[in-house]
Amino acid sequence: MSSPATQLRSRVPRIAGAAVERARLTVVPRTRAVRAARVPFVLFVSLILLLGVVGLLMFNTSMQQASFTMGTYQERATSLAAREEQLTAELEDLRDPEKLGRKAQREGMVLPTCTGYLHQDSGLVTGELCAAEQGTNLRLGDRVPPVPKAVDPDPIVVRVPSTDPGVSSTAADAAGDKQRERTSGNRRH
Amino acid sequence: MSRDRQPAPGRGSLRGSPQVRLRIGFILIAMVLSAFGARLVQLQGLDPNGYAAMAAAEGLTEVVLPAERGDILDRNGEPLADSVDGAMVVADPSLTTEKAPALAKFLATRLDVDYFTILPRLREKGSRYEYIARQIPAAQATAVVEAAKEEDFDGLWTERDPVRQYPADDVAANLIGFLGTPDPTKGEQPLAGMELAFDKILSGTDGEATYQRGAGNKIPLGDNTTVPAVDGQDITTTIDRDLQWYTQRVLRQTVESAGGSSGYAIVMDSRTGELLTVADYPTFNANKPADSPRSNRISRALSDPYEPGSVGKVLSIGALLDTGRVGPRLRMTVPGQLQRQDRPIGDWFDHGTIRLTLAGVLAKSSNIGTVLATDQFEDGELRSYLERFGLGAKTGIGVLGETGGILPGPGAWTSQAEDRISFGQSVSVNAVQMAAAVNTIANGGVRVDPEMVKGSATMADGTVVGTDTTTKERVISERAADQMARMMERVIDPDAGVAPGAAVPGYRVAGKTGTAQRVGDECACYDGSTTVSFAGFAPADDPQFTVYVVVQQPRKGSGGGSVAGPAFAKIMGYALRQYGVAPTGAAPSTLPVEW
Repeated sequence: MSSPATQLRSRVPRIAGAAVERARLTVVPRTRAVRAARVPFVLFVSLILLLGVVGLLMFNTSMQQASFTMGTYQERATSLAAREEQLTAELEDLRDPEKLGRKAQREGMVLPTCTGYLHQDSGLVTGELCAAEQGTNLRLGDRVPPVPKAVDPDPIVVRVPSTDPGVSSTAADAAGDKQRERTSGNRRH
Repeated sequence: MSRDRQPAPGRGSLRGSPQVRLRIGFILIAMVLSAFGARLVQLQGLDPNGYAAMAAAEGLTEVVLPAERGDILDRNGEPLADSVDGAMVVADPSLTTEKAPALAKFLATRLDVDYFTILPRLREKGSRYEYIARQIPAAQATAVVEAAKEEDFDGLWTERDPVRQYPADDVAANLIGFLGTPDPTKGEQPLAGMELAFDKILSGTDGEATYQRGAGNKIPLGDNTTVPAVDGQDITTTIDRDLQWYTQRVLRQTVESAGGSSGYAIVMDSRTGELLTVADYPTFNANKPADSPRSNRISRALSDPYEPGSVGKVLSIGALLDTGRVGPRLRMTVPGQLQRQDRPIGDWFDHGTIRLTLAGVLAKSSNIGTVLATDQFEDGELRSYLERFGLGAKTGIGVLGETGGILPGPGAWTSQAEDRISFGQSVSVNAVQMAAAVNTIANGGVRVDPEMVKGSATMADGTVVGTDTTTKERVISERAADQMARMMERVIDPDAGVAPGAAVPGYRVAGKTGTAQRVGDECACYDGSTTVSFAGFAPADDPQFTVYVVVQQPRKGSGGGSVAGPAFAKIMGYALRQYGVAPTGAAPSTLPVEW
């Protein structure tokens, strides 16, 4: 009893018989093994390794170098920023209105007592015009602290009874004041 | 077979049965494993982050990145307070003792320190940390320490020590306040004024940098994290530094010449309510606060309540005009003395029965005339007006320790009290409050909140202040304000009024003098001393500035017109000049003062 597979195979026509014959496996004759030289390859790999290691080392070194440089520059930046702040502070100190005011007064400048305005569009002058006068200046500068009462006590006033029974002490004072006024007035004129 | 395996009875008694041994062995192993397990739970379960952090911290350096404190600026951006990166020089006496005299000499020549002060510090036994100099510019400190190293002095180093500078010394010092010496651990120590009130805004938040360090340098590829510092914000005030300085000097001269104990001067922008100047005398140098007594380091203009006197007539007569019951030309017969329920009321000048208009009552500053006129108020009417003028309530401009003044409550508001309140006694105010009240007249009857901070800022207690929060409220009608302004112009008139010294040449000025009885500090009663003041605005027909000058306890015989008037004229003149306000050129008020 033949299986259906055998029947099927027997029914397939044998095609390309020559090709099939050629494709059949045959034993390859043993040839001499060609071995590539190992030394150049080992050298090549070692070189790559060496280059890699050296490169990595150099990269690391340059990173370190950059870190040092950055540190130095950062320090310099900090110190320059501090210097700038100090200079700004000095500038601010020079721009202190009190200092400017005192300097202006030393130069003989005075504050105006009145102001005039020239209106560009109409050509009109408004406001009052007057000369700035010396002697109207503000008192600037540090105040001398007042002397404490303990060091500078009030004067002790002793009322001495008048020898002239007709003139009271207040009347005498008033007369004295008038006399003083008169003399000072005379001096002024 | 089983008989063979039976252990010898002698050996068994020594080792015990294998099952027992096995059990003991297992128990021991279980105990050890349990201990391992418990430790594992402890490490991984209970506090894994702590250990991870400890591991990470190994070899890491942490530095604080200090936040810079915000500046306090004037309205033009000029600094009133600014921060400079400062440093302190610190010494380790265990290293400096040996060369102490030479090092002390070296430091004394290069830093502003005293040889005899630092010498014992350089030799301090048992100490390894002594301050040599504090709060000096960082650049200088570093230079000195480096120079010392070159000279072979060891044991010196610098540490951060921020410097707060007040470039204009005493200008606005009472408002700005000051900082104490910084604490090495807690940092800046705000002690007074805006520095204290707005510390949260000014101080900022310190940052932090963590990085791995090797041989004194940052390891480039190591772990590093940086939390940048958030610098403090600047605060811009409405103060004009130059005007504030000028006002302070004029005020000082005025108070000193009048022999007064203290004084305040306020300059306010009439339209916006911005305070250009809040001057106090006596004041202090903010760079050297310890040189001045504590009482001089507060802003008296806001913390001293006082009775305003006749300047208060501006408010009461202004309110009366608003009711429409009277006009500036109201004819009044003013007797020499007015008998009222509890005591007679007199005027500052002796007179018999005179005939004054309402404008004349204000121009001559007649108490009797004011009392007679304000009799026309209905019950509670004057109080309600004064409340709306801002009396009795804090201005809330952002100064700590402000007084709200005292406006008697409805229960204490008797007719006698109303008489006195109508001419500015029996009621107390602070200077900024009063300036804002008078400014209501300048601003056409609309009261505008005074403000000192531009934009908005939150104080330590959560209150938001600043020009963004300004509110406006109409108190009297525009017509009443205009009438009042024209009446106030007559005060400056050399013939009609009492304060010709307050005139600013070329300008129409409206103002009012005040000479008030003052409550003495010791007896808490009217002790014979006075408070003299002048409040006004210019140009009278288009007000730009309101200026208020007050002098406390001047020499006897001083009056608001003679003492505060000229100071007002100087300050107002300067403000008008500086801001280029040209005279309006309109004819001045000619309201009759007598009939």
